Parts: sequence; structure tokens; C-alpha cells
Amino acid sequence: MYLYNELDQTLVNERVEQYRDQTKRFLNGELTEEQFRPLRLMNGLYIQTHAPMLRINIPYGLLSSKQLRMLAQISRQYDKDYVHFTTRQNVQFNWPALEQVPDILADLASVQMHSIQSSGNCIRNITSDPLAGVCADEIEDPRPYCEIIRQWSTLHPEFSYLPRKFKIAISGSPQDRAVTQVHDIGLHMKKDTDGNIGFEVLVGGGLGRTPVIGQTIADFIAEADILSYLDAILRTYNRYGRRDNKYKARIKILVRETGLEAFKAQVDAEWKDSKGGELTLDAAAIERVKAFFIAPNYSVSDDKQLNSDLEKSGAFRQWFKQNTREHKQTGYRVVSLSLKSPHRPPGDVTFDQLQLIANLADQYNLGQARSTHDQNLAFTDVKTEDLFSLWQQLNEHQLATANIGTITDMICCPGLDFCSLANASSIDIAQGITETFTDSAIETGSLKLKMSGCMNGCGHHSIGEIGILGVDKKGEQWYQLTLGGSDTHETKLGERLGRAIAKDDVISTVKDIVNTYKQHRNDDEKFATTFKRIGIQPFKDKVYGTR
Amino acid sequence: MALVKNKQIIQDSWHHLTAEQTSLANTIVSLDYWQQNKQALILSKQPFGLKVSGDLPAESFSEALKHVSLIAIEFPVFSDGRGYSLAKTLRDKYRFTKEIRAIGDVLPDQAFYLSRVGFDSLELKSDLSAKLAIEKLADFSVYYQKDSVSQ
Ligand code: SF4
Repeated sequence: MYLYNELDQTLVNERVEQYRDQTKRFLNGELTEEQFRPLRLMNGLYIQTHAPMLRINIPYGLLSSKQLRMLAQISRQYDKDYVHFTTRQNVQFNWPALEQVPDILADLASVQMHSIQSSGNCIRNITSDPLAGVCADEIEDPRPYCEIIRQWSTLHPEFSYLPRKFKIAISGSPQDRAVTQVHDIGLHMKKDTDGNIGFEVLVGGGLGRTPVIGQTIADFIAEADILSYLDAILRTYNRYGRRDNKYKARIKILVRETGLEAFKAQVDAEWKDSKGGELTLDAAAIERVKAFFIAPNYSVSDDKQLNSDLEKSGAFRQWFKQNTREHKQTGYRVVSLSLKSPHRPPGDVTFDQLQLIANLADQYNLGQARSTHDQNLAFTDVKTEDLFSLWQQLNEHQLATANIGTITDMICCPGLDFCSLANASSIDIAQGITETFTDSAIETGSLKLKMSGCMNGCGHHSIGEIGILGVDKKGEQWYQLTLGGSDTHETKLGERLGRAIAKDDVISTVKDIVNTYKQHRNDDEKFATTFKRIGIQPFKDKVYGTR
Repeated sequence: MALVKNKQIIQDSWHHLTAEQTSLANTIVSLDYWQQNKQALILSKQPFGLKVSGDLPAESFSEALKHVSLIAIEFPVFSDGRGYSLAKTLRDKYRFTKEIRAIGDVLPDQAFYLSRVGFDSLELKSDLSAKLAIEKLADFSVYYQKDSVSQ
């Protein structure tokens, strides 16, 4: 994991003091709400329905046990004993007091964390594959490049007043676990025929009211040139992106209105002047960062203990099958900590759980944990001989719901309960779905349900295999469903099922959809495969035929 | 108005073009004026400045660069970041080494970033804002990006 040097720490400390002064001036009336707004936003502070919301960056999802303990402590001291993990691997506090935020930030800085650019019209937290460095299919570990891009984009003087927010995700595997295709820029690590490291660059992806899948703007940009190439894209966007309408200000609209080829020509014209210049990465700079991410010394072990543990308990077997994954090293597994128990909203973790996770991370996972885009946590380096006792402890604290990848492992935004932009609630629908499907989730198989409380799409509904979107109909909460989306390396937008569904009918509609799938599936065929084969009509017939 | 340059509030030696003006020395003219009076401005041999809006591409006035002593980039609203890229482009691509001034809706909290992309003078609304801007220039003692080559 990357560790701050003196420069990193100074920068974050000075940022805290800068923000402390800005807060003070706002509270004194020296800054108007309008002037303070972009300043607080660039530090992750929103004003929501009940209270401010503070979003903290977890750079590419990596957390140390020390940082986990600090998040727990902050949730106790300044908030309501819980935190919320987001789809961009970040963490949110829903109840901080505006005047205490500078103190929270100072506490975070003491464990090398910050909220710089976690919102606002600037370059946001860089996200990545939660299995970086441990998955067998990896071309190259993306984390060092995430860190390099994090540093370059942090407090960027030129790109802090962009037309709109800007999100970058990097994947090091052909299996995309970072939804790079719905980011403003998606980077896919690649090697050329000589083995040189570089990136395929996608541009113009995004969710929200106009969901778009990113398109390839460059097939291969060498690692040395990646920053100058990003700089050229950002400058082109900053200059030409629309500023007249906030709903048309994302880069996806610019790319669409300009045309990919013409946009690419603009970027290339910009890049021609800067390529090979001050932003060029030399091998030594890359190596310096790579040194923070070398694989740990894995011990040689086998699965003997695991195999006997698996004999012991059916519940453990089920969890093992559902919530752990292959590791590139034999004798190790990747473990998902499900934040989708029936007991709390998706992505929420309590103070006690955070403490426990920190302790377990120290005991079993080299003192680290990772956040994932589907709002869970992962331990990526667990010895198989430890799995049974890890499971027992997770289980006691409601962190071992065996539902990863199933319908109850859904992505869900905070919706009407917290968000002032929401049209409809999502947490209570999530609860209903969880209650309905808890017993049958595993048997139903891999099925990604994603839900947003409004068109902004924070819950990624457009790429859900089942997508649910809250809409407002004359002040009432209704829900628009889509089917057949995908968040994989072949990202796809879902198809509209039909007219919106009344709130009371949402759960039974989801049931109808699941039953239709079950009725049509061949053997253990996945939802996506069945859907591709039979199309949307049988689902429409079932849902609207009876209503 | 108050002008900040070299971390100080200074007396402005420049003025914007007015109708009654006779001499053009140290005058900041509009792009229109430049386009209509190029020859006269060049022949006058007097230092003059050019005021451009932050959303203009540098290409549209690049021919003026070798004649002007100052470019004033106007921010229509503080949140419009195009002026930052324009200044950076003038410094890096066009190697413009003379004064670049930020005018219009410029906030003290932006002083640090503005100075880092190549602005060397900032026009602020009042002495109070200008003093604050000077303080804000010292917000950070470190940063990650390499800066404009000509600074
Ligand atoms: S999708 Fe809408 S309701 Fe949900 S968090 Fe985003 S803005 Fe709020």
C-alpha cells in the first residue's frame, strides 16, 4: 500500500488548514453560500436533506486497519456510529456538523486520508479493480498507476473548475471489475508486442440521465506518456465542454456532439505539443511507486485444513462458495465481506463492525482491506487455513451473508432517505427485496440488481441486469425498471421493461421477473444468458399481462 | 479594484481603453479594437495590452502575442475554468513570457491555482480581497504537478 512521504503529508495538512479557514470565513459571513459552495464541494461536503454529507476518498479502494479504526472513531465522535460505502470505493458520513468538518479532516490527515476532490467539478477519486495484484488474470497491477494519476490530479491548478465532475477508473485485467466503460476516462492496462506497458484509453462513458458506454480514443498509450495524454484530454474538455447546461456538461456529451474522430483530432493536436514534455514519466518514477505494491511474501501452504473445515459445516461451505474467490497464490483466497445483510441498508457498516474488520484485517489479511464498486469490502490475502475462523467471526457480526453476486447483493443509492435530489426511496425497496429473496438468493444464481433514487444514477441502475429507477409522478413515488444491463467488460445498458410501476408493486414485479427467468433458464444458465436468448418480451408479458 | 502582483498590492500602471483617450500607452484594448487597429497599435510603439475572454481559443489572437505587453484574461464567473487552460496554453505552447492578468470574477481563494497556471497579476474586487488573495497564495508550500515552464 502507498505510504505518504513528507510532501504528501504536508500537502494534506495544509489542505486541512486551508479548509478550516474557508469554513471559518463562511460561518463569519465573509464568504457567501454561492462562493463557499464550490470550495466545500471540492472537499467532499454536500448539503443533504437532513444534514451535510461528507465523502472521504479511499484511493482505488485500499484501506489499512489503522484507517478503518479512524473511520470508526470518526463515526462515533462526529456521526451516528456508522458509515456508508459508495460505488466509487469511497466512504460517506451522513451526519457530520459543518463546523466540525475541519476537525474530522485533521483526524483523517493523521492516518493519510483526505476528502480532496471527492466531489465538485474536478477530477475525482481514481478507482480500480478491488482484486488488483491478486487476481490470476491480471496483465499488470494497476495500483501504481492509480497512485501516479492520483498525485497528478490532486489539487490540480488547471483542472479544478471543469465544466462538470470527472471520473477516471483503471483496470489491469481483461475482466473489468471497475466499470471502466462508464467512466469519463477508462484505462485498460495493456502490453504491446514487445512487452511494453501501456493503456487502451476509453473516453466519454458515464451513467446519469444520459448513460453512455465509453469509446476507445487510443488503442495504446505508453506508460511514459499517460499523464501527458490525460492532460491533453482534460484540457480539450476544459476548453470545449459545455457550460451552458449542467446536464450537458459531462465529457460524454462533448464527445457525442463533436464526434469521436473530431474529438480525437482535438486531443491529438493538444498532445502533439505536450508529448515528451514535463509530464513524461521516467522509469525511475514509476519504479519508485511500484515499490509500494510488491506482492507480500506468501507462505507456501495447501488447502488441507480448509478441506477438513469444509466437511464440518454446511453454512461455511455455502459462504465459501459464494463469498470467496480464487487467488493467484495457492493456499490463499480472496474473501468478500458482504455489506448487504438483511439488517441494514446496502453499503452501511457500523462502528462495531468497522472495529472488528480492522482487527480481522490485522489478524488475517496483512492489515488491509479493500472497498469494491459493488459496495462491499474485500480481504484479498487470506490463507485458506484461516477461512473457517474468519468466517465464524464475520458471521457473528453480520458480515458473512452468503450472497455475493446474487440478487440481494444489490447496489443501491441512499435515495429519498438522505439525498435531496431523490424522486423516490431506495432503501425500503432494497429491504423488501432482501426479505423476499434471502432464502432463495443463492438458488436464483448470479443476478445483479441496481437501484437509484433518481436519474442521476448513483446506484448504477442503467447497467443492472435488473435496474430500478425512482421516478416522480405527480408527487408520488414510482419506479422504472430496465432489464439486461451489464457491468462487466462488455458493459451494456438495460432495456426498458415498460411503463413505470407503483411503489407497492415493485417487489412483486421483481418476483415476476425472477420467476420468468427461472421458468426459462436451461440448467444453471445465468440470467444474462437467458435474457439474451429469450429477449425482453416474456418478461413484459408476465409483468404487464397481469396488471 | 485592487491589483496583486508579486505577492503585493500595487498601483496599476495599466488602464482600460476609454473613448476620450488620446495616447494609447499602457492601455488594455479589446480584441475588436486590436483587430480593427492593428497597424496603428503596432506602429505607435507604445506598450499595450489585450483583453480576452477566458473562453477564447489562443489561436484566435496568437498573432497579437508578439506585440502585446500584457494579456488580461477575463473570467465571466469564477467557476468558469477555461481561463486557466488559456493561461497555461499561452505559457507552455506559445511561450508567452509577459504579464498575464486575471480580471473579472476572481476570488481570493483562487489565487494559488491562478498563479500556478501562469497568471502573474490578479485584479480583485477590493483591498480586502486583495489582502486575502496574498494570504491565499501561501496556502500550500508543496504541490504535485510541475509548473508552467516559463515561470
Ligand atoms: S441517484 Fe439520485 S437519489 Fe440516488 S444518491 Fe444519486 S442523486 Fe441521490
